[in-house]
Amino acid sequence: MILRRTTLAGALALTRAEIADMFQYRVVLFLYSLWEVVHPIVYLAVWGAIAGEGDVGGLRLSDFAAYYLTFMLVSHVTAAIEIYTFGPMIQQGELSPHLLRPMNPVWVAAARNISYKSVSMLLLIPVWIGLVIILRPTFSITAGSALLFVVALVVAALLSFLVGTTFALLAFWTTRSFSFWEIWIGLTFLLGGQIAPVELLPGFVQNLATALPMRYTLGFPIEVLLNRLDAGELALGFVLQFAWLIAAALIVRTVWRAGIRQYSAVGA
Amino acid sequence: MPPDISVRQLVKHYVVPERAGGLRASFRSVLRRKHRLVRAVDGISFEVERGEVVGFLGPNGAGKTTALKVLSGLLHPTDGQVDVLGYTPWDRRAEYLSRITLIMGQRQQLFWDLPAADSFLVNKAVFGIDDAVYKRTVDLLTELLDLGDLLTKPVRQLSLGERMKVELAAGLLHTPRVLFLDEPTIGLDVTMQQRIREFVTAYNAETGATVLLTSHYMADVKALARRVIVIDQGKLLYDGALAGLVQRYAPHKTITVHLERSVDLPDLNGQAEVLSVEGLQVTVRAGKDDAPEVTGRLLTQLPIADLSVEDPPLEEVIDQVFRGDGP
Ligand SMILES: Nc1ncnc2c1ncn2[C@@H]1O[C@H](COP(=O)(O)OP(=O)(O)O)[C@@H](O)[C@H]1O
Ligand SMILES: [Mg+2]
Repeated sequence: MILRRTTLAGALALTRAEIADMFQYRVVLFLYSLWEVVHPIVYLAVWGAIAGEGDVGGLRLSDFAAYYLTFMLVSHVTAAIEIYTFGPMIQQGELSPHLLRPMNPVWVAAARNISYKSVSMLLLIPVWIGLVIILRPTFSITAGSALLFVVALVVAALLSFLVGTTFALLAFWTTRSFSFWEIWIGLTFLLGGQIAPVELLPGFVQNLATALPMRYTLGFPIEVLLNRLDAGELALGFVLQFAWLIAAALIVRTVWRAGIRQYSAVGA
Repeated sequence: MPPDISVRQLVKHYVVPERAGGLRASFRSVLRRKHRLVRAVDGISFEVERGEVVGFLGPNGAGKTTALKVLSGLLHPTDGQVDVLGYTPWDRRAEYLSRITLIMGQRQQLFWDLPAADSFLVNKAVFGIDDAVYKRTVDLLTELLDLGDLLTKPVRQLSLGERMKVELAAGLLHTPRVLFLDEPTIGLDVTMQQRIREFVTAYNAETGATVLLTSHYMADVKALARRVIVIDQGKLLYDGALAGLVQRYAPHKTITVHLERSVDLPDLNGQAEVLSVEGLQVTVRAGKDDAPEVTGRLLTQLPIADLSVEDPPLEEVIDQVFRGDGP
């Protein structure tokens, strides 16, 4: 993906239009945002009930509250929606108009991703603030952890976007790319820091979670912000996160090229 | 100057899975999937010079859209060479895409819920059109297409014809040098078809752009193109002047005579068929080869005030070409 001067300007203009367009779907946005609020609350309720007045693996109720409230924002920022936005475009032959413009259509997916998130963030923030006031989490944040968090979050969002795009691109070959996506969703649920913070996973599973990419799209930035990692874990985490990012970028490029070859062979 | 478009032995075959009917057949097809080859474009060659308007004709399924998709870079051909403005289309180089446009009747590149002006701004940025040029182009297109306030209304509120005009404008913002228009008037009412035609003519005159357009409205072709390329089943049947097409494929001529007074018609020897007798005006149809003889007989045997020999309407000729019983 070569970055041309006009590509950035184009992506920006596209994002602006997408944002305007997004406001047409207030109800859908509201429902998605509601889901984004509700599901972490469910995990929190479960862990809160288990922890009670004590702790689970060193995490008290207020720690779980901090984790899942951060989760709420992080999972929103890193959400991959390409299977819904980009996949259908490929499937329904809507890619052609975009292929006729001197800009890689992956930018269309990116613009839609950013516009969705910026608009629905407006809905999420007030709810989030309300929840913080009610739940009184203990955020053990430092200036350093906040700074590293921003880096981890941006990389997580990029990585997640590339993963989402890869699965969406499977639509070039199969009408069942959703089934593959479900597998990713399932693995993220278990290993990404969703059903439980990765530090609570049993040893072997925890190693798996550390090695695989799911955590780097979700749990890792939360752990960074809340100072749950020692220096060694932090360093390893960033190395692996960047490694997965590069791998994902290469995969997207390869799959995109193969997909376009397929598309222009079977008939756009 | 080399031609803008040069196509040599272009072939595009689609491989489609055979869908068999019945449970047993579909079970068998799971085990051993059968494929069928669709020869959408099967070895066509032609050239188009700078500034030409060429009509691309053929019945449904002839391969017109496929050919245009290859030319605009959406499809990779199975075989053959294509050169447009010095580029190989399917490389889809940014410089190439900035010089061409493909406009399809059913294409949907505009944001549905937003005014077209918003979508225009996206294209402006993507194509890197600078402000002054952009303004000039929008003004020109607004004038030629009579866009009025269409650009500020949400696209979903526009009629089909209005939407087509706006789509055309969107596809031309970057002032492409080569236009591929696939059925640009399909589904539009007669007045709107007329408007689009006038626009293409004016645009071609104004900008000197090269235009390759498909349509199955004969009126489009008659009004727009002096040269036509006829394809059927992926093969080139005719490439040349519109008038020549009629000459070559017209199966018969229509002879109309005005009589001085009412008389009985002579025996036409089965060489001609009387189409109508209205007062003193008689219309007969004769095969192309028989026409001179029939005309001669009419002239010598009837008190004739006036006689004219005409080619049949283009629609009939094209129909003849596609039925494959031309010469
Ligand atoms: N994507 C495709 N896959 C398989 N066959 C196709 C595809 N697109 C078109 N065809 C077939 O190729 C032939 C030519 O189609 P097309 O180029 O659309 O013709 P036209 O535009 O002249 O109507 C038709 O038989 C059509 O069914
Ligand atoms: Mg067609």
